[in-house]
Amino acid sequence: MLASVTLGVYDRDAMDERDIEIRNATYGHFVELGHAPMAAEVARTLGQPEDEIRAAWRRLHDAHALVLDEAGDIRMANPFSAVPTSFVVEADARRWHANCGWDAFGIGAALHVDSVIETECADCHEPLRIEVHNGRPKDKDHVFHVLVPAAAWWDDIGYT
Amino acid sequence: MLVFRSEAHVDRWLAGRPGGATIPITKLAELAQAWWGDRLAPEWRPHTREQNQAILDRLGLTGPFWRLD
Repeated sequence: MLASVTLGVYDRDAMDERDIEIRNATYGHFVELGHAPMAAEVARTLGQPEDEIRAAWRRLHDAHALVLDEAGDIRMANPFSAVPTSFVVEADARRWHANCGWDAFGIGAALHVDSVIETECADCHEPLRIEVHNGRPKDKDHVFHVLVPAAAWWDDIGYT
Repeated sequence: MLVFRSEAHVDRWLAGRPGGATIPITKLAELAQAWWGDRLAPEWRPHTREQNQAILDRLGLTGPFWRLD
């Protein structure tokens, strides 16, 4: 099962202010559209060539600021997932997929709104619906398990 | 990074394999607020490793498992 990126081990020197502008536009599209933008869409928004968007995305990927797939398209802009997962988050009258349990809580946190997380128990697969109000889950009984130690989170971000 | 109904379900899922760390989702929610709260801010800049470690430490997520380096 795909899990998170998350982890905060950025190579800050690998991206510059222009890359961060492209990163912010990419996230903006993701929020508005409910799915990952194509490079051409970000290029149109910023009035830049698509090649420059793709080059920036690659630098941002190398800096762990987002994750590309094998084709060079957006796979994760954490906490948002570009592909369907078992973590669906409804917030601000829109729906997104999150990369993992941590990211599922991250969508409401990033948007600063209440959210509802629809997922399942990883063991018994019973559906779980977690309402988050003012940053706090209504149902407090569930638990979260991290299998991989923090220092290894980026070794295989899809597995972590 | 998965959600379970209870710690008993984590144990059953692990089936004897070595586990990692289990925290209540209330703690996860606190962690998410601190970790992701600035993610969509126009002035966002990547957190340093030290900033992220400080978030984990502040929430009591300490010890070798939670060390980022």
